[in-house]
Order: sequence, then C-alpha cells, then structure tokens
Amino acid sequence: MSAHGWGALADDGIGSALVEAALDAVDGRAEYADVRLVEAEELRVYRQLGADVDERVEHSLGIGVRVLVDGVWGFAALPLVDSVDAATAARRAHALAVAARGTSKPVRLPELGVHSGRYETTVGQDPFAVGEQALLAEALDAACAPREVVSAQVGFNAKRQYRHFGNSVGSRQHQHFLETGVLVLVMAAGHGDVQRRSYPNSFHGDTAAAGWEFVVERDLVGNAARVGEEAVALLTAPVAPSSTADVVLGSQQMSLQIHESTGHALELDRILGDEVNFAGSSFIGVDDVGSLRYGSPAVTITSDPTVLGTRGSFAFDDEGTPARRSTLVDAGIVRNTLSTLDSSARAGLPLTGAARSDGWAYTPVCFATHVYLEPGTGTLDELCDRLGDGYYAEDNRSWSIDERRLDFQFGTEVAYEVRGGKRGRLLKNFSYGGSTPRFWGSVEAVADDLRIFGYPCGKGEPKQWSFLSHGAPSTLVRGLRIGVA
Amino acid sequence: MDFAAPVDPARATELLASAVRRADADHVEVALLARAGEYTRFAGERVHQAQNITEQQVVVRAVVNGHAARVATSALDRVPDAVRRATAIARAADDTGSAWTPQHDTTDDHLLWHEDTAAFDAPARVALAAHAMTEARQVGATAAGMVGRAVTQLAVASSSGALRHVVATEATGSLTISDGDGSAHWANLHRSSDALGLTPQTVQEVVARAVRTRGRQPLPHGTYTVVLGPEATGELLGFLGVLGFDGGLADAGVGVATEPGRRVASELVTVTDDASHPFGLPIPFDALGTTKAVVPLLIAGRVGGPVTDRTGHAHVARESLPAPVAANVVMAPGTEDDLVAGVADGLYIERFWYTRLVDRQASTITGVSRDACFRIVDGRLADPVRGARFTQSVFDLLSAVDGVGIERRAQPIMNVWNGSVTAPAIRAHGFRFGPR
Repeated sequence: MSAHGWGALADDGIGSALVEAALDAVDGRAEYADVRLVEAEELRVYRQLGADVDERVEHSLGIGVRVLVDGVWGFAALPLVDSVDAATAARRAHALAVAARGTSKPVRLPELGVHSGRYETTVGQDPFAVGEQALLAEALDAACAPREVVSAQVGFNAKRQYRHFGNSVGSRQHQHFLETGVLVLVMAAGHGDVQRRSYPNSFHGDTAAAGWEFVVERDLVGNAARVGEEAVALLTAPVAPSSTADVVLGSQQMSLQIHESTGHALELDRILGDEVNFAGSSFIGVDDVGSLRYGSPAVTITSDPTVLGTRGSFAFDDEGTPARRSTLVDAGIVRNTLSTLDSSARAGLPLTGAARSDGWAYTPVCFATHVYLEPGTGTLDELCDRLGDGYYAEDNRSWSIDERRLDFQFGTEVAYEVRGGKRGRLLKNFSYGGSTPRFWGSVEAVADDLRIFGYPCGKGEPKQWSFLSHGAPSTLVRGLRIGVA
Repeated sequence: MDFAAPVDPARATELLASAVRRADADHVEVALLARAGEYTRFAGERVHQAQNITEQQVVVRAVVNGHAARVATSALDRVPDAVRRATAIARAADDTGSAWTPQHDTTDDHLLWHEDTAAFDAPARVALAAHAMTEARQVGATAAGMVGRAVTQLAVASSSGALRHVVATEATGSLTISDGDGSAHWANLHRSSDALGLTPQTVQEVVARAVRTRGRQPLPHGTYTVVLGPEATGELLGFLGVLGFDGGLADAGVGVATEPGRRVASELVTVTDDASHPFGLPIPFDALGTTKAVVPLLIAGRVGGPVTDRTGHAHVARESLPAPVAANVVMAPGTEDDLVAGVADGLYIERFWYTRLVDRQASTITGVSRDACFRIVDGRLADPVRGARFTQSVFDLLSAVDGVGIERRAQPIMNVWNGSVTAPAIRAHGFRFGPR
C-alpha cells in the first residue's frame, strides 16, 4: 500500500458520488453551494520523562456543506456514513441560510470559474509505516541526561487526509495531504528558576508536508541533547536587560512574528470586521491595500501555497480556489490580503485563495497559507557582523498581540549578547515589544538562511484550527525595545 | 430542526458496552464524545456564519501489560476495529508499563437538559442577532457576536464495569458593539439559555457602554487600583492550570500546587473545580468514566491541590501530551454589587485579550485590556481609556483583592473539551500597565 492508498475515500469516484449527493439535495434552491468531504487519520506518539508512552490514532470522516441563498450563507457538517448524511448536511445548511434571510445584508459572488484537478503531497517514506519508538526513546534519554531536567517530552506526529471538493459551478477537486512532525520540549529546574527549551519549533513541534524523511533530517537525538543542556545553562544565565537595542531575531522567532503581525493582520475577514467579536480586527484597512507603508524596503512578504513541502501547501484552498502566489507586502508596501470568495467580493480586493478550515466540520475562513519573509543576502554570522553590538534572540517562549495586531510583546527561550559581531554570553528571559509598522519599519537587513515552520492556528466561533506554515530568515531590527516583561 | 443527542442514548451505551465485551486487553475504556451545535454568528449587518455542526468521536483506550494506547474514530461502525487496533498497539510495547486503570463500576445516566435551550432555535437566535444589530445601528454603532445552542453527549463503558452516559444542553452568547474607535463586550455560557442573560436589556447596556467609550484616550503607564469585570477575572483564573493546578506539573515538582496551604491570594478568593456547580459547563465524569471530584484550587487564598486523572479530570489535548486539566473552574462570589463605588482613583477593565504566560515561577502573564475600559474617579466610571499592554503577576494581583462582586459569568477555557471558567468581578490593587 502506498502512502496515498488508505482509507474509505481513497477512490475519487466514491468521493465524487458523495459530493454529488450533497449538491443534488440543494440543486436549484441556492445560488451557490460547495461540499467538502474529508477523511483524516492522525498518529501521535509521545514519550515523556517518568511516564508511559502515549500513542494514539485518530480517524475521522465527515462532510461540510455550505450554501448561499439570497446572498446569505448557511453551513452544516456531519460525520459521514452514507449519501443520506450528505443530503442531510446540505438540507441543514439550506435551512440555516433561509432562517437568516431578510435580516442580513446579502453578498453577491462574482462569476466563478470551473477548477478541477488532483493533488498529492510528495512523500519519501510513509510515516505510518515506520517504527519510531526506538528513536523517540533515544531522544528522550538524550534530552534528560542532565539531572536538572525535570520534565521532557519527545513526540512524533503524522497525518494523512483526503479532501474531496465540489461546488455547484462544476469544480471537482481531489487532494491527498500527508504531513509529518516532531517535537522536543525540555524543562529544567534549579537555582530558584525553571527554564524551557524546545526543538525544532516551540509551538507543538514542527510539522511539514513530507514523510518520515522529515524526521530523519532533524537529528532528533543530537538536538534533544542540545536543548536539554541549554535549558540547564539558562538556569544560571544572567537575565537579559531592559533597554533599547539592536537585535538579530532568529528564523523561528521571526516566523511567529510573521504569523501574528503579518498573517493575521492581513486576513481580509478580520479587516472587514467579521471576527471583531472574538479574534479581533486589524489596524490595516481595505483602503490601505496598495499604499500603506507597513515595513522597510527590506521587507517583502509572500503568500505561496504552491511551494511544496510546507504545512501551508495545497493545490486548491477549502472553497476550491486554485493556489496562487501573492505578494502581500512588497518592499514594505501592503499589496494584497489573505482573502476568501466572500471577503474579496465584499471588499473588491483580489481573491488570493486563503480559505482554510479545520477538517470537514468548520466553515472556511481567512487563514494564512504558506506565508514567508523573502530572504535577503548573507549568512547569520554576516548579519551579526552587521549588527555590531546588540543581541541575537531565538525560539519563542511567550507571545501576545492586541486585537488589532498592532501592539505586541514576545519572549524568547534564548538570547545571546553580541559584541563586535560575535556571539557572547547566554541570556535568559529575553523579551521585546513594539508596534507592528514600527517593528517592520526598523528591519534593516534580512539574511539568506530561510527556514520554514509549520503551525497550528486557532480562529473563529466556535473555535477551529488551521494548519499553515511560515518561512523566515534571520532578521536585523534596529532600535527595538527589549526587556519589557 | 432536531435538537437531540448526536447518538441515540440506547444505541450509544449498547455500542460501547458491546465493544468492551469483545475487547482482548487487560483493561479497556470506550468513550463517546459528541456535540451537536448550532451557532449564529453575526457581524457587518448580517448573519455571516450560520452553522450547524455535529461532531462525534469514539475514543478507545486499551491497556496491555501496563501500556496504554488510544485509537479514536468518528465512525460508529469502526469502533470494534478501533478496539482491536488500540489493543494491538498497546500489546506491541516491549516492556511493562504503569498505566493507571480506573476500577470504578458505576452505571448511571444523567440528563442535564434545559427545554429553554432546546427552544433557542435558529429563528430565535436570528431575531436576537437582528435586535442587537438594530440597536447598534440606531446609535451609529455596529454589532457582532454569536449565539448558539448545543447538545453535548458523553458516554463511557469500561472493562471494570462502568457504563455511564450524560446528555447536556449548552447555550452560549457573546456580543461586541463597536462605535468608532470604542467598543464594549459581553459574553456568557450556561446549560440554560434563560440563565444566559442575553436579554434586550443586556443588549441595551452593552450598546450604552460602547457609546461611552467614544473618544477614548491612551492609558498612561503606571500601577492602578482596578476593578476587573467577570470576563477579565475569568481570564486570570484560566491561568491557574498552567501555574500548577493542572496535572503533570505538580508531579514534576513545578508550580504552586506543590505547596498546599501556601497563601497566594486574598482570603476573599476561593476557586474550585466543581462539576456539580450549575454555572459553566458541568459534566459529572471524565472520558475515563471517573466521577469528577470537587477540587479546591484556592481556599480562602490558600493553595488547595491539583486536578489529576484520579479526580476525574483526564483530558486528551489535540497537539500535545494528554494531561489532566481543570474543566469547570468556579470562583465563589462576594457580597459587593458595586465594586467601582469603592475606588477613589483607578480603572475599570472589562476584558483581557491574548494573555500568555511569561514566567511560571513569578506567575507573570502578559496581555492587553480590551473593549470598555474606563478611569474610575470618586467611585464612578469616568473617561474611557484605550486598551493597553500589561505584564502582571496573577498571584500578586489575587493577593491584593479587597472586593468580590456578586454577579458571575462563564467563558470557555481554550482548547479544553467542555471546559469553562466562571468568575465574578473583583477589585484589586497594584495592577501594572506598561513595561516593567
């Protein structure tokens, strides 16, 4: 069995039949309808200091149907057994839209094209067909070698999913995604302090659209040992100072900076106020697109789900829009947003194909895709040379940003003093804060060491998760307010 | 539309019991976690997301030679396969483990059902949304929010003889009125929609509060006496878990729950995890079928103890290790109906946003204030102030509480299935806005 041949929906024909059953149920009763049929299976294996192995497999199969009736949306989702469930979901979605008619300002979608096709993640070795336990055990032992380590987790995750899509316009799409990830998280205690270190990403590990090769390339044992030792070293490290300073932020920290202050700020549904009750709005307005100076000329940020191998890679988004590369920020100027059919139609802005949803059970909203800071030139060491005196900080420890994505405060797991371009003392509890345009306006240079990180992201009511990615090189920022927490 | 348990209760219990009977493991639990919810979201003069979502998952936990493995499926016809698969994974472990296997044999069936919530259907919710949008429009403001009803179902069967089932209604409401650069917010959840309190009067009050925030000014950095609204207080209490009361941390010797009896808050502060309490989202047992004990987290300001699997707080997180979590956190009310009246010079803070842990040892969190926040002068709300960033020790603030309100409201605990925190307003001293 190949990595792409498993489950009940492996056959596109079966998926298509169920999609048709749902569309038939509302045929002629809605100006638009779309159907997402998703089967997913996820494997998670965790080893933790002092605890038994936790291994779990989760399988789900369901359908989500969205209809537009007189300009009003309705959405319904159900676990799926047969075509009756598909039709039931469609009828429920229709009933909800009808109930809201007359009280809602209608949306009119532009004429939609037909987009059909197939897509599969490129996979080396099927992560569901390997034995990961020995590697995880070895990595946990390595992380726990120092006696000051009081808590350690090593984890492996893999997910595969079929996504069949159809809409009333005639698009039929069949995508099979496969992703693999790893996690190391260490906590050390002593000298009246507790410190943590993580690898390869401080947000539930790192996950990519790839197979077992993603794990092999990560040198899990070597890096587990490293972060264990670094967590212990942090216990006796000096606390980072409070001042205004020049800083090189590492790739991981920059990837989160992009997520919070670029990705979310450019979600068009936020900009239009759809999320103001919970997730918030944006300091960027519709009229700012094309003119707002968001950052320095060194800052160019792109959304590109056609880049292979990331957690934000796909051929079609979750409302069937073909993946496309969009420049969000061009040499510091806002050029595009992350948009959906609904939001782009209402705002009159280009459709960028950023409709994402959590499996079959949630309605698509604007989420980041693969959004990254375009690399510049030179290595991290060369960037530190350019920095001169300041700090190098990496791996997020704490993050917070206001509801307009303007005022932020981040902390990192590690920081180093940099003097004359050379890294010196390890510092703990490094933090920095600022406002988004001022931060990006203070970016002087970007290195060429682009790294990509997979993230989960929550949004919506009820809250749903999206899975996306950000790429970032190390970045030199001048005049940053540090030691704020 | 039907408003009922996602899976017929008789079918659910028979399915689970049958799966357990056929299991070939040393111990097995089979749990059905399901929710059928309808949610009416509105913003920008429209109901923009009318949603009807049914989710269900059967989680099998098999234990062989002390090793536990979980297999979950959304398809009820795959449950026998899930049992076989979980058993095979657990059996494949090559040494002896020490997985805890609860031995309870309770058989019961609970119905936490409110007919008023069942009647909170799509037309009723749309009418409420339309009313809020109209009220806002009449003062030149806009309304956004969500109103919903749901049925939560949890059933557990185990090889030690437990066969438990509960069906519970859930009503939720939230409202944000935006007026220029100002705004006000309200939120609550309850098993009963009548107890929710999202009435026309509530809408009117939120609109009026939003109007009062017009022209709000920046808040100077400084240390203030504050009155935190119920939502802001609840957000602070939501950190008790990561400060040591959720399971796992205390076992690792980390966090405040390693020191029972230590005073960390004012004697006015008593907080329990109480699944028998009518507020929030009470549910009588966890996914292992263990009855939820009432766990005192803070007793008159002193540390109680952590929640654990043994107290009925087992929880499986989505992207991380399973660890017990507090799931129906309730703070005891006080006696003051007007906390603002007791402040000569301070701030009223309605809501916090994007709060995150900064330093577990110091119980420091950061975040921003949001929506309707005001200066307090001579016991009355005065000029509105903008949201501002704070970095503040949770226990330092709770130690400085000198007043607790009567009215309580509940809000969800992020990423915790069926989790909520219920809190009153509090008055406290020494809240720091601005960098350290």
